[in-house]
Order: sequence, then C-alpha cells, then structure tokens
Amino acid sequence: MVLVRDMPAVGRGFIERLEPPDIKNFYWTKPSPKNSRKVAVISTAAVSKRGDRPFSWLARDHRVIGKNDRDLVMTHVAVEYDRTAWQLDFNTILPLDRLDEMAKDNEIGSVAEKHYTFMGAADPRDMEKSALEVSSEMKKEAVDTVFLVPV
Amino acid sequence: MGRPLGKPNNPEFQKKVIRTAFDLLEKSSGPVLDDFSEIIPVREGRMSYALPVSLVYKVNQLGNIDKLAERVQMELSNLLPDYFKALQNVGRTTVGASELEISDFVPYISEFAKGNKPKSPRKGLPAIPLLKLVVEDLNAVYTETRIYKDKIDDFEMLGKWFWEETHAGKLLLAVEAVSLESNDQVLRQIASMSLLTPRFWSEGPLPGISGSGWT
Repeated sequence: MVLVRDMPAVGRGFIERLEPPDIKNFYWTKPSPKNSRKVAVISTAAVSKRGDRPFSWLARDHRVIGKNDRDLVMTHVAVEYDRTAWQLDFNTILPLDRLDEMAKDNEIGSVAEKHYTFMGAADPRDMEKSALEVSSEMKKEAVDTVFLVPV
Repeated sequence: MGRPLGKPNNPEFQKKVIRTAFDLLEKSSGPVLDDFSEIIPVREGRMSYALPVSLVYKVNQLGNIDKLAERVQMELSNLLPDYFKALQNVGRTTVGASELEISDFVPYISEFAKGNKPKSPRKGLPAIPLLKLVVEDLNAVYTETRIYKDKIDDFEMLGKWFWEETHAGKLLLAVEAVSLESNDQVLRQIASMSLLTPRFWSEGPLPGISGSGWT
C-alpha cells in the first residue's frame, strides 16, 4: 500500500481528483455470528470464466463465477495495476480457496455458490441495475456477508 | 493495485487480510475506515511497473516492422516450451482472454504496428478492443513463463524485462507510437490514456494528446 502523497505524479494527480461518493441512507447492520456466515465475493477485477463475453471498457454489467471455477481470464481495461500477482495466484484478487479453507476450519459458515465480478474502471453509479441483479441472486442463496475486493 | 490480498501464494497472509476485514463488521457503528497493520514496501510509490518516461518511440524511429515481428516470433517460440511446462505444472494460465491462438498474437499486433487496422477475427469484438486483449495475452505468455522458470515474484523486474528488454516489448511500443499518430480516434485515445502500455505509475508527462484523462 502506498500513501497518495508518495505516488508518482500521474497516478497521484488522477487519484487526488477522485470524488468520494455521497452515500445517503446509510445502514450499519449487526453481523451474524462469524461461524454461521455465508460469504460471497464481489471483485472489481473484471475476471470472468474463459469463454465468457469480455467486459467492455466502461461495462456496467457483471459476470458470475462459480465457487469451483478456476479457469478464469481477466479483461479489465486498465493496465496500471500489476497482473503478475494474479498470474502467480488468483487468490490474490479472488480469494475463493482461502474462504473454502476458512469454512472447513469453521471460521465462517460457508462459501456461496456464486461470486460476482465487475469492471472497476467504470462508474459504479451506473451499475445500479446490475447491482440489484446481484443482490437478488445473493438473497436467493441466503448470502449474509459480502467481501468486496477492489483490484 | 492488483494485490488486494497482499501476497501471492501466501495463504496465511491472505487469510489475515480477510479476517481483518471481517473484524470491521464487529464495530458497534460505522462507516469504518482502518489501515491494515502491515505495509508491503514498493519502489518510489509505484504500485505497478511503469515504463521510463523517456522510452517513447516516434514512427520514424521504428524501422522495419516485419523484421521486428520475425524477431518477436522467434523469441516467443523460444519461450513456448517453458510456457507449456508452466501450464502443465501450475495447472492454470491467464492467457486466453483474446481467444486467439498464441501463434496469431504477433501477426495480429504487427498489423497495427504497420499502421493497418485488421479485421477482427472474433465475432462480436471489434478490432481495437481485441488488440488490447491480444497485447495482454502476449504479455502474459512472457511473464507467466518467467515467473515459472525463474521463480520471480517482482513486478518491477518482470515489467522491466518485458517492456524494456524483449522484442515483444519493442513491438508493443511500436504499436503505441503508431497509435499516437493514428487517424483512428479510438486507437489514438487508448494509446494516450496508456491503456496499451504501462505508464500510469510514472512522473509523466505521458506521450500523446493532453486530454488523456490522467493529466
């Protein structure tokens, strides 16, 4: 991790200008007990199953990854983040093996069957339709904990 | 950037990140913003490799693209036995987003370096978005091979090697040079925004149009 002030000029200039979202109607919900949680991952890394349609450059949609899917490719538009960690170990951005291990060790209740990826370079405010679809799928699966993993 | 769980192939570190995130849920009120206890050092604030600012070609410096493409094909052919060995042993590859055969990567990219815009062989995906995926696939063949062969986890070293020392890197810099001067607005824009070449983590200025979006 790097503090914004320590970043080189191009990245620093871009990140300093980002406006934080103004979130209204904020809720703080008491979590269920750790060892009964059903956890799903949402990643912004534009990862998808091999053969899925690639993400477009400002995609508002999402892709679904099954809990056992491991043959994955990435179609994120940005090249400013390191891809070698993803090449070394997909858990560095999509920690499905780690969650599996935590479920086996009874640290969490279970791992959801479905996980979701978005194209993180697009504006999330344009993704409401897709977000509602994802939340609906999660409710059907009784997911009560979401691990949001930015890339 | 690219390492939200911190360290590849380090399950305990990755689980520490997850546990720390989940612990935030135990706070009595929120929103919560907290720093992770451990900082992974990087070079000069860079969270990924960036090309040297001075390493930008002009079209009139490129030389014979067909000869350069031949050198890249030879270089790639020399890497492929180790790439396939890596695939067999590791059991996965990130190569393939473009859905082109590896043998088609260089010919497709070379057409852009020669100032042409080939027809996309992939239904439903235009030529320029496909170019981006082929560029990333070519890069991934090289880096996955080096990662496996030399047991490297160092994005600065891998980036410097690929972009500054290989013929493939030079071919992609040629595509950038041609794209920056292209009449095709989309091609010019993705080159200017450094969506083909890694320049985001540099002190700049970036090559290309000033309205790049970054600067």
